[in-house]
Amino acid sequence: MLKIKSLTKIYEDGTVALKDVSFEVPDGEFMIILGLSGAGKSTLLRCINRLIEPTKGNIIWDEKDITKASDEELRKIRRNIGMIFQEFNLVERSSVITNVLSGRLGYVKTLSSVFHRFPKKERERAFQNLNRVGIADLAHKRADELSGGQRQRVGIARALMQEPHLMLADEPVASLDPVLAHTILRYLEQLNQEDGITVICSLHFLDLVRRYGTQVVGLKDGRVVFQGLPEEITDQRFKEIYGEEAERITVT
Amino acid sequence: MESKRSPDIKKSPIISSILSMIIPGLGQFYSGSLMRGVVFFITVLITVLMVRWWGNDLLYTGIAITWLWNIWDSYNFAKDRRLSYTVPFLIIALILYIIGWGVTEINIPRLLTDIADIKPLVTNLIKPAVLERDKEILKAEVLFELPCSESPPGKGEPIEDKPYLILIDKTCGEPGDMFTIEGGNFWPNSKVYIWWSNYAGEMAYRIRYKGDYLSFETDGEGRIAPITVPAQEPFAEAKGKGPQLWRVQARMTREVGSPHLSHTFFLVVEKMIETVFLALMATTLAIFLAIPVSFLAARNLMGGNPITISIYYIIRTVLNSLRSIEPLIMAIIFVVWVGLGPFAGVLALAVHSIAALGKLYSEAVESIDPGPIEAVTATGANHLQTIVYAVIPQIIPPYLAFTIYRWDINVRMSTIIGFVGGGGIGYLLQQWIRLLMYKDAGVAVWAIAIVVAIMDYASAKAREKIV
Repeated sequence: MLKIKSLTKIYEDGTVALKDVSFEVPDGEFMIILGLSGAGKSTLLRCINRLIEPTKGNIIWDEKDITKASDEELRKIRRNIGMIFQEFNLVERSSVITNVLSGRLGYVKTLSSVFHRFPKKERERAFQNLNRVGIADLAHKRADELSGGQRQRVGIARALMQEPHLMLADEPVASLDPVLAHTILRYLEQLNQEDGITVICSLHFLDLVRRYGTQVVGLKDGRVVFQGLPEEITDQRFKEIYGEEAERITVT
Repeated sequence: MESKRSPDIKKSPIISSILSMIIPGLGQFYSGSLMRGVVFFITVLITVLMVRWWGNDLLYTGIAITWLWNIWDSYNFAKDRRLSYTVPFLIIALILYIIGWGVTEINIPRLLTDIADIKPLVTNLIKPAVLERDKEILKAEVLFELPCSESPPGKGEPIEDKPYLILIDKTCGEPGDMFTIEGGNFWPNSKVYIWWSNYAGEMAYRIRYKGDYLSFETDGEGRIAPITVPAQEPFAEAKGKGPQLWRVQARMTREVGSPHLSHTFFLVVEKMIETVFLALMATTLAIFLAIPVSFLAARNLMGGNPITISIYYIIRTVLNSLRSIEPLIMAIIFVVWVGLGPFAGVLALAVHSIAALGKLYSEAVESIDPGPIEAVTATGANHLQTIVYAVIPQIIPPYLAFTIYRWDINVRMSTIIGFVGGGGIGYLLQQWIRLLMYKDAGVAVWAIAIVVAIMDYASAKAREKIV
């Protein structure tokens, strides 16, 4: 169970990115964060694993307060939280397998990892995860030789190396075409349903929200404006989240 | 440079014009544009000073036109009408280019009329002294006394089977006197030069007569027909010490044996190796020092707090000032410091390279993508792991590219750093050019061209592999 309590983030320049955001994510949910660009979706996800330090509020995960964790505790917590990104955030000039193995850095010995030495079972784990997302044959290619869809799959494999209990996905399909979007989201759905990993995913498109989400939080200008089931988002609700002039765009 | 003026303040065009008549730009200033006024004032001032300094009064006409234009502009500006800068700009530019032409002594006809002067240089440069043959010298001499003593030396005797020289008319005299010599048993039909030497024989030079070296052809039997030679001035330390003996010599040389690689060639090879090592040491030294410096000069790493940001500014300022000093000037400083030779060159190139690489490297650090750093941090990796996995892979390719680029520059620079005593091939090249030894200079020039071309090719290949 992840509990977010009165989370507020004010940036140094005074921008209020999140204002008093509170909601809960029961284990095993596929939680969607819905909202316009700039609504605070990315900030919210990054506050959960403290890539961004929250200004106020608490994030309680399995009875532990992430916001109060020391550096060492935070690293242990981060190990259990996978994350994938809109721009994939791979190291472009490194090989696919190196990118995937970097997901395991929180578990292996620092010294040997600095010299790119990983135990054999970790390499096997990397191949298993690549296999799972269907790109084991690309293991030795450089990341910048891959297409967008392939890159995001490397991103998922990297997150899987962490054996996460929670997966944060920041607009994971916004840079991909609709067909690939479904492929990637189906992988997340599979992780959610088969491995029981809780997923928190920010999305733009309502159709994708209805197809994959089990819970939805709508954000507007850093505030929660909707919380409920995907089916409850009527056109009226949609306009509340996206503004009056919003038109629904259908993704097939 | 848009001039702004609040429209509600009314200014008189007449006053504005009169002000501009007194001091250019003052009217525009009065009418509300400091910028326009200052630009006019400074432009006219600089142009007047330039014309005064270079001294061609005709050019004042151009300034007068600009001044008039400025009054007209001032009048219009007060009425809130803006004239285009084109006319005064073109006039001022014309004046400055005319002065520039004069100051830099541009003289196109000379390029054509003096073309013959370049001929010996070019012809010798394309015939470098790579090969040479051994030289054999044949020499005979006779004594001559300056001035005459009680017992002047004898006239000399012809010798059988050996080259000889004898005096015919006199064996002593005053400097400038003409005397006659003849000789025999030299190589037939060859050129002989006449030398003047002190008695000890350690100081000698070829005698010139009316501008040319004295030389004669031997006949078919190796004889020198009687020739007249001017008696020379005694060397400085022999002056006023009474009668002394001098040696008058006839010398001839010929090349023998087959051509082999010249002394010059080996000297150039040796210095060229020194040159490449000079570039290597300087570049390597610079890499090791520039890497840590580049982190201190990267804004994204140093922006955190006031202390680090002030270190950042200090390092940036030092790098920028060092980079503005040319390596040749730096080499002069280091020659004074550590003496002539390649070490001074290494230091000069290294310091300049640290400044240049430090800046380029730090820009590479500044342009890294924060995304992968974020992603690796999110996996629970520690700082060291994040640097190894997310930062280093991103900066290695630009670091290598900049290093190769610097290496290319240093190879070029190391070939001329010797001009100011910094070691390497440049030292020889500069000496040979000054001594008019163009054939030897040619060897150095060719060696530089070949080595630089090879290094260029190699680094272009290396770059293809990396980038």
